[in-house]
Amino acid sequence: MLPELLQGVDAGGLIVIQDCAGYSGRRLLQSFISAALNRDETVHVIGFEVSEEELIGGLKGSSTQRLHFHDAFTDPLGWTDHPAFTVRQFNLDEVTHLVKQTSLPKAPTLVIDSLSWILRHVSPAAVCKTLQQLRKGGAVRAVIGLLHTDMHQRGTVGSLCHLATSVITVAPGMKGDEAVAKITKRSKSGKVMLDEEIFHIREDLAVIVQSKASHTGHKQPDPSEKETDPTANLTFNLRLSDTEREAKKKLALPFVFSKEKKTALLHSVPGSGRILYEPDANDDFDQEDPDDDLDV
Amino acid sequence: MYTELNSILNSGPDSFTQGEFILLSDRQSDASFLVHHFLSLYLRARCKVCFLGLVQSFSHYSAVSQRLGVSLTQAKEKGQLIFLEGLNESLTLLIPQKTDTGSEAMDFIRDPTVGLRRLFEFVRCSLQSSGGEEEDEWGPPVLLVDDVSVLLSLGVSAGAVLDFSHYCRATVCSQLQGNMVMLVRCNGEEEEDGGDEEGSELLLKGLTHQCSLTLNVRGLPTGYCRDIHGQVEVCWRRKEGDGQNTQKKLFQYKFSPLEVAAPLALLLSGVRGRRSEVPEEPDNQEERCTFTLASGPRRAAL
Repeated sequence: MLPELLQGVDAGGLIVIQDCAGYSGRRLLQSFISAALNRDETVHVIGFEVSEEELIGGLKGSSTQRLHFHDAFTDPLGWTDHPAFTVRQFNLDEVTHLVKQTSLPKAPTLVIDSLSWILRHVSPAAVCKTLQQLRKGGAVRAVIGLLHTDMHQRGTVGSLCHLATSVITVAPGMKGDEAVAKITKRSKSGKVMLDEEIFHIREDLAVIVQSKASHTGHKQPDPSEKETDPTANLTFNLRLSDTEREAKKKLALPFVFSKEKKTALLHSVPGSGRILYEPDANDDFDQEDPDDDLDV
Repeated sequence: MYTELNSILNSGPDSFTQGEFILLSDRQSDASFLVHHFLSLYLRARCKVCFLGLVQSFSHYSAVSQRLGVSLTQAKEKGQLIFLEGLNESLTLLIPQKTDTGSEAMDFIRDPTVGLRRLFEFVRCSLQSSGGEEEDEWGPPVLLVDDVSVLLSLGVSAGAVLDFSHYCRATVCSQLQGNMVMLVRCNGEEEEDGGDEEGSELLLKGLTHQCSLTLNVRGLPTGYCRDIHGQVEVCWRRKEGDGQNTQKKLFQYKFSPLEVAAPLALLLSGVRGRRSEVPEEPDNQEERCTFTLASGPRRAAL
């Protein structure tokens, strides 16, 4: 599903790329930028976490003519005299103004690196509102944002993800430069598709999906699985034939003493020891009735 | 300066990557030997160094550096080193003297909510070259902080510290193409969820997202050992050129005092691991090397 997302986002889409300290999702974000640039789309980047040089350095190979970088990296809080873009300016009017500076026939894609930086200074409700307005406003075609999930409370991350049309969670893979992406995609009909893919990003920012560790959300239970008889291919026999049943009946079980068996076992051999017992009246003394012997 | 550590990190007084943000962290261990390492490395590399020493006094750092073969006093006199003695500065703010000459860098102590803007301005003024001859004299600027967790205990929020480090990174690493080294200490267990979200754990995560190289010092997971004192996990992030996102290696180290006059030796055996896995087989021990250092990692408690 990852290549489909890279090929193009529907108008009004919001993609959130989630990462954590163990694996940075920035390279995947750059892949998205580079894919959009290769499709001749205009991309506006609001960069809080990387400088323009670093971003363009990472995008080598793609034409950066249609890339517009809005520098929120050098002074996001207005500590110096001439801030280019501060975190307070992250609202519908300012961003629309920023994007409209370059008049174009086609609405551009807006990339935010990263939403975490904004969320540290602006309340989650305001961020969600701005994102929703941007999606619906028509000034931008789609919004792609990076989010460091381990920096925020679960509720904040959850509310942003509810807003998104697609959520991609990246995590380190098992070996090498592999990574695992868990993708949740909501289509317009309301259908939710889940997918998990192992991918790696080539040097030219092309995403190569290596395998699908997929378990789709709306997976039908396999019909062939249901009909299989669990007793089909057993290595032992569950049922008995008539002859077998006869044989089973004939068999004398151990510890079940028939008359023959008893006599055979207790048969006295001449010369062997024998117990002689003559009942004695004294042996038959009943403790509970000491006067038993009295012939009353 | 540990030459072996230099070879692991592919750096040295003659050549090192510029524009790097190195994050040192320790968990129930002590990473201050790395602070001394980087201080002596950058002073030897003739960089202009701004050192925010918030934990120890100048004489402590000076004594350690003396044994590493670097004189802080001389560097300070030459203008190579700008040292902010946090202990002294905070004292002058808390107990104002008649001759109040303390800088305003630490004025967040009076009101922690104002943030660390003043401290950043101190750093910027210290490192931005005023032009002229000085530019030729010293190499790229370096900011060293020992350690940022102290700011948390002085009442500054983790978010404000992250803002400070962001501005420092934008100025020192990006604009001036210098380097930045910060130490964070975490005392809790790693799996602590939610409990310490506002504190050092959040700070560590936030700084990890910002940095390009992390050195994480911790004790051996198997417990005390006489021959190995701890392990350093080195993690390179953002190697755009290689197309590699993160690369992790695990090394084990040992301090071994030789003689009082002679330098202490640090024995380092490298265990290479992939990602977060810790290989336990002794076959994986590849490197075993000694690197000399002129001081122990002694440090008084806060």
